[in-house]
Amino acid sequence: MSNALLQTHDLTVSYGGLHANSNVNIKVEKGKLTGLIGPNGAGKTTFIDAITGFTNVSSGRAEFKGQDLAGVTPAQRAKNGLVRTFQSLELFEDLTVWDNLIVMAEETKWWSFLADIVSPNRTLGVEEQAQWALDLLGLNEFKDRLTLDLSHGQRKLVSVARGLAAKPELLLLDEPAAGLDTVESQQLGSHLREILTRDISIFLIDHDMGLVLSVCDYIYVLDFGKIIAEGTPEEVRNNPEVIKAYLGESAGEMQASEGDAAARALKGEG
Amino acid sequence: MATGLVVAFKGSGVINFSHGAVAMYAAFTYNYLRLDGTIRLPWVDILPTHQVNIPVKISLASGGPVDKWVAALVALLMSVLIGAGMHYLVFKPLRNAAPLGKVIGAVGIMLYLQGVALVNFGAENPQPEPVLFANTLFNNFLGFGKPLPAESLALTAVAILVGAALWFNYKFTRFGLATRAAAGNEKGAVLLGYSPERLALSNWIIAALTAGIAGVLVGSVTGALSVVKFTTLIVPALGAALIGSLSSVPIAIAGGIGIGMLQTVTATWMTGQSWFPEWLQSGATDAIPLIIIVLVLFLRGKSLPVRGNIEEKRLPLSPYPKRIGWYVGIFVPLGILLAFGLPGDFIFSGLTGKWSFAFSTSLIGAMLMLSYVLLAGYVGQISMVQLSIAGVAAFFMARMTANGTPTPEDPFAVSGPGFPWPIAAILGITVAIAVGVILGIPALRIRGVQLAVVTIAAAVALQTLYFDNAKLTSLMAGSNAAVPSPSFFGIDIGSTGPTGLTDSPKFVAFCVIVLALMCTMVANLRRGSTGRRFLAVRANERAAASAGVDVPRTKLLAFGLASALAGMAGVMTAFQQQQISSANWVYFAGLVTLAFAYLGGITSVSGAIVGGVLTGSGVAAVFGAHQSEGLHAYTPVLGGVGMILTAILHPSGQSMLYQPIFQYFGKWLLRARAAEWIGVGRRLGPFVVIGLIWGAIGINPWRTDDWSRPWMMLLGVFLALFIRNLVNLIRSGGHAELGEPAAAAQEVPA
Repeated sequence: MSNALLQTHDLTVSYGGLHANSNVNIKVEKGKLTGLIGPNGAGKTTFIDAITGFTNVSSGRAEFKGQDLAGVTPAQRAKNGLVRTFQSLELFEDLTVWDNLIVMAEETKWWSFLADIVSPNRTLGVEEQAQWALDLLGLNEFKDRLTLDLSHGQRKLVSVARGLAAKPELLLLDEPAAGLDTVESQQLGSHLREILTRDISIFLIDHDMGLVLSVCDYIYVLDFGKIIAEGTPEEVRNNPEVIKAYLGESAGEMQASEGDAAARALKGEG
Repeated sequence: MATGLVVAFKGSGVINFSHGAVAMYAAFTYNYLRLDGTIRLPWVDILPTHQVNIPVKISLASGGPVDKWVAALVALLMSVLIGAGMHYLVFKPLRNAAPLGKVIGAVGIMLYLQGVALVNFGAENPQPEPVLFANTLFNNFLGFGKPLPAESLALTAVAILVGAALWFNYKFTRFGLATRAAAGNEKGAVLLGYSPERLALSNWIIAALTAGIAGVLVGSVTGALSVVKFTTLIVPALGAALIGSLSSVPIAIAGGIGIGMLQTVTATWMTGQSWFPEWLQSGATDAIPLIIIVLVLFLRGKSLPVRGNIEEKRLPLSPYPKRIGWYVGIFVPLGILLAFGLPGDFIFSGLTGKWSFAFSTSLIGAMLMLSYVLLAGYVGQISMVQLSIAGVAAFFMARMTANGTPTPEDPFAVSGPGFPWPIAAILGITVAIAVGVILGIPALRIRGVQLAVVTIAAAVALQTLYFDNAKLTSLMAGSNAAVPSPSFFGIDIGSTGPTGLTDSPKFVAFCVIVLALMCTMVANLRRGSTGRRFLAVRANERAAASAGVDVPRTKLLAFGLASALAGMAGVMTAFQQQQISSANWVYFAGLVTLAFAYLGGITSVSGAIVGGVLTGSGVAAVFGAHQSEGLHAYTPVLGGVGMILTAILHPSGQSMLYQPIFQYFGKWLLRARAAEWIGVGRRLGPFVVIGLIWGAIGINPWRTDDWSRPWMMLLGVFLALFIRNLVNLIRSGGHAELGEPAAAAQEVPA
């Protein structure tokens, strides 16, 4: 328990009779990059929704910094340092890139609106963190652009930067590599290692085997809502269950390119 | 009625506020066919000339009354025509607009039809005759001991029949399936070989037809026909439709009948009981069913929208306000100068009479619009109750200043603590904020157009339970609450001028300063962290929550702040009018005010000011009436058309049109970019000249109205530029989305 930042105990999420997650137990340690992989529809996003309070947990519980998360609103979780990104981006399209980051970063008090009336452009003390996030992801040139005007890849990076601006203790990344090309994906991977040096732990959720296997310290594999394997990248790579889930019976139904990439990744080429 | 709303919503996602107006037009059509056998077509000839006139009347049966069934048929055909027109002219161009844009389109149609009806049918309120079972009465209906006209029964039967037919149609036919598919995914429906356009058209026609049936049949039950009253029938109908979540025809009908029964029960039984609070007696009949609806919706709502249920159609962007100090520094002295005139009446002697009144009305209107800008423009909460909240502030302040001493002006003085005006005003605004925050609670779980309907319900409740409730206001029936004149360190800044009219320039100056302060406040909120959080909530509630923004608190803060702004507008209105009555805050006017705010530009401070200029009996209206007496009759028609056009062509509002003009003008003054202006002149010059000539010799000689002559030349120029724009628009494939307002604006300065 010593280093566990986030821990779930038999977390189950059901929609009607369907168990989107059943009895999921994971542990994310401080200072580590933990990964969660699984094919499409395995329940990855449901899991992140459950941890961050966007969907109701049917049974089991989740703890963040040793504190039970039941009854804590999504906003409070974010303020406590548990910050997420969305697979579908969900940026604030009417705000500039910079304002997107600042919304995430700033602390507001009940009297903030009064202060705004008098002095709207006062220094908030969070600019440095936001600027660091921009610089890290190479977004500085888009600082004053509306997110609406950026390309998909750039917006993906903005969503990661927005998460970083909050100075979280744990950043949950929901498919950050989806829609990025190979080069962008590799760059993102190296950025993630750099983020770890800033006292930000990461929980990376993706179906891109290559990315997850190459950057993570510890990996969980989710399939049909259940954890089927866990371990270091090496252990996961050699786990027969994982190979079966990714290549076995369902290989024929998978898109050829995805299957190939997964196969190469599993063989250690990815 | 409710059925038609459901149909319209299913087919297009529009809450059709004009539904009542369609019913009204059908009812009038039927009635006048029975009276003198003329059909009045649903448009007006705004520029009557000697040669070319648009036909507005068709006479059948040469002046005599037409057969009952023929009349009913024609009235229904009329509603079909209106429905088709609504589809082609309004909702088809608006199909990809934000929900608020569609609401404004519907309000525009409502205003248009009301205006046309006023022009075509006059302000008479005839008592129409029943279509079914005239003069049959069941004397002791089912043994309840009360007489019931057969007509009411027949109406219920017809409602159920029509509903059943529609329900069957949607549930079991290919058409119904296709409609539901198209509502879910337009592209998908196209791929399956359905034309969403044809489906939408059919749905609009069906919706209008149900309105027409309701209009023709119900007309005789509701008493004398009145343009306004008939249109407001929409509110209970909306309630009924909402119970069925706007998508279930059977529930809507059951809801409609249920609401009617509940109202009767409330009126005849509950109000007589001893446990029923006395102060609730008068308004309970109207308010209670609405409160129940709000509760149902609230309990069913979710505090955050669910995944995959994200509002994709956005409001126009909210621009970042720049150079606030600069604007305030220029416009405040300018406004005060305008109010007082130059020293010694040199060149300009200041505003007097109707001009002064119009000016202060516009300024106060702009204050109210600011409240909409903050709430609807920044946070995306469509509220139609702001006008009523202004009324709360005004009524409460009036009561706080009252001291129970009768005066010649106010013989029925009510008792009160007799506070001085600043304290009373602050108390009034505080109460307005409290009411606003309470009314904001439903917004935590109800979103979009449903919220809009809930706020209408709230406005109705405020009107019936507070403004019209003598138990609470202690006002004699029909009398107004008096408001004393404010003074500032011994200077009278009240609205009464030296001639006894409400035209004091000092009051105008007072308004200018208050408005400037409010504008600065709103602009600063937008620029600061509050504005960022507001826009974050507007853009995406889920993401805002994930960013640590407390969404419920942010919404309540917005409702509170907007209510403070509205309350200020209410207090200023009270000072301007010096006496207030519930007529100042009719709930339906709140809808129109929102529409004007949208017309001005719902997302920006400058939009609020433009909205204020355009507001009823504001500067624009008085200016128009000054130039042409005859124009007055057409104001609602023009307002409606303007709203529809704005919603379609310039969703960010008129102020976006003017802003570039100011910018260009400012740059031109500073840097004299002659080349640019020559370019603009070369592009548009020929059209301007052609328009001028057309106006001068092409329109002027034939007209029969009383406009001043130069206006016809301007009209010519305007028409020429408009046609040019239209041609450009069609050539560019109708992509008038983002670039268009700017492009159009660049062309206007010429």
